[in-house]
Amino acid sequence: MTAAEICAAVKGTLAVEAEDAAANGVYVGDLLSDVMGHAGEDCVLVTIQNHLNAIAVCTLVGCSVVVLCHSRPVPPDMAEAAAREGVAIITTSLSQYAAALALSALPPAEH
Amino acid sequence: MTIADVVKILDGKLMAGDGNSPRAVGAVVANDLMSDVLLNDADDILLLTSLASDQAIRTAHIVGAMGVVVHNAKPLSETMLKVAADLGVPLVSSPLAKYDACVRLHDAFLAEERS
Amino acid sequence: MPAEYSPTILQGQHTNDDEILAKTPLDTKALGGDSSVIIMELLQRFKVRDVMKRQIIAVARSTTLREAQRLMRENRISGLPVCEDGRLYGIVSVNDIINALDNGWIEDSCERHMATNLVVMEAGMPISFALRYFNNYTYGRFPVLDSNRKLVGILSQRDVMRALLYELSVEIRKLERKTAGNGPLRATGERYFRREWAVVRNDLSRAGHAANDIKVILRERKVARSVARRVAVAAYELEINICIHSHGGVLVLLISDDTITITAKDRGPGIPDIEWACRDGTSTANDWIRSLGFGAGMGLSNSKRVADSFDIQSEVGKFTKVTCTFNMVPPEPAPAEGGAS
Repeated sequence: MTAAEICAAVKGTLAVEAEDAAANGVYVGDLLSDVMGHAGEDCVLVTIQNHLNAIAVCTLVGCSVVVLCHSRPVPPDMAEAAAREGVAIITTSLSQYAAALALSALPPAEH
Repeated sequence: MTIADVVKILDGKLMAGDGNSPRAVGAVVANDLMSDVLLNDADDILLLTSLASDQAIRTAHIVGAMGVVVHNAKPLSETMLKVAADLGVPLVSSPLAKYDACVRLHDAFLAEERS
Repeated sequence: MPAEYSPTILQGQHTNDDEILAKTPLDTKALGGDSSVIIMELLQRFKVRDVMKRQIIAVARSTTLREAQRLMRENRISGLPVCEDGRLYGIVSVNDIINALDNGWIEDSCERHMATNLVVMEAGMPISFALRYFNNYTYGRFPVLDSNRKLVGILSQRDVMRALLYELSVEIRKLERKTAGNGPLRATGERYFRREWAVVRNDLSRAGHAANDIKVILRERKVARSVARRVAVAAYELEINICIHSHGGVLVLLISDDTITITAKDRGPGIPDIEWACRDGTSTANDWIRSLGFGAGMGLSNSKRVADSFDIQSEVGKFTKVTCTFNMVPPEPAPAEGGAS
């Protein structure tokens, strides 16, 4: 699934664009240590962590799309880091649970 | 959907609290940040979290949650089990990731509605 | 300075009254002196008429001593004023009855054997003055006359004690409320509940237990569920705040008839920019705190959101004090959110 499809599915706003941002799975998590330990490669990260460190974790686990729930604002340093690292950020008013369900309806990306 | 149903659906194991509680899930909240959980106004919350600490239980008690599920089969400390037992909060350990748990619970709700 | 009152001696000599309390006279020095402004203020504010007994059991001059004895026994009192049409003629005491029994004149009239050497109080005297009477004379009770010299009441040490203790308890409650937070001060007799928890810096294994206790207390006291939940949420956030951001402090729960107040006070380091700190998502938390599920910068804004009134004071290097007040009656229920899907 592409960033655009993800954005549409969660009725969100594309806050930071990134070329070729796409995902093949979903990980829901707000504890960055947990995300680092368990998120698979090519996941979309559904989280509430509007923090610079969330982007750092994304680069570590190889995830290129972040869905920020509950309409959390994107701080400038987080947006800059995301643009630099090629991570797309989508903000949505949905909860993590609702966002997860919305994404489960999407077909996996084709390779 | 009671806590016993939740245990089955999520391939889980009841670690503390009353597994025969008749309370039904009113809302699912998947969150690791307890401040965010506290913001929620829903009743009879089932809290899905990766936060394997006392704070998850204490937060659940504050918002009157009907149960807590900890994901990825994270090890639970003795004190966490004790706090859950003391505060009467059913605590479930599940091997599933939070995302998969969300999807399974949702499917189960749909099946419940159909029946 | 109040006007000086002097005892009014009607006639004759003193006799002893065997009122038990007379043997334990109030020590006005211990009560007053410069030890307590509040007590002195009370002693001045209250007049004899405010605390005296107005229901007087009295006998006429022609009443027999035997009848007087019966009245004393039935009413468990040790002295009776002899009074007609409000005019006080004398007092019959237990001693007079004993003498009458010993000497065989129990069937005589009260007038023949009553004490007529009386010390009376005036209804407008401040209590501070009345206390001197109990010290200077050995009587346990005094008749009280109004400005027309009519008998209007009886004052015993017990009456004074009862009134003082009651008023003191009210004053103490007011003081406790002042120290507990900015809870409203209200009139006398209010029921309230107060409890305090110490919150230790960085002890996250205990953090939250005060909020859990509070939730249980509110449930036991049958506080409306929605209100109890909001109070507990504020308590939890403030408890965590003290734990992770301060040098330690206390969390105080105060329940009155119509409000619940949570006060969180710590010993510093204080907040330089309160407006910034109260904003959603702003935080000085480190990764360790974030890894425990907190530090998302929502603590203060969360507690402000759930409270009916919110106050924060802080002095850098000294303290931060947050007060959240909740109305006991829950607001109109908001439309239910979400549900399970």
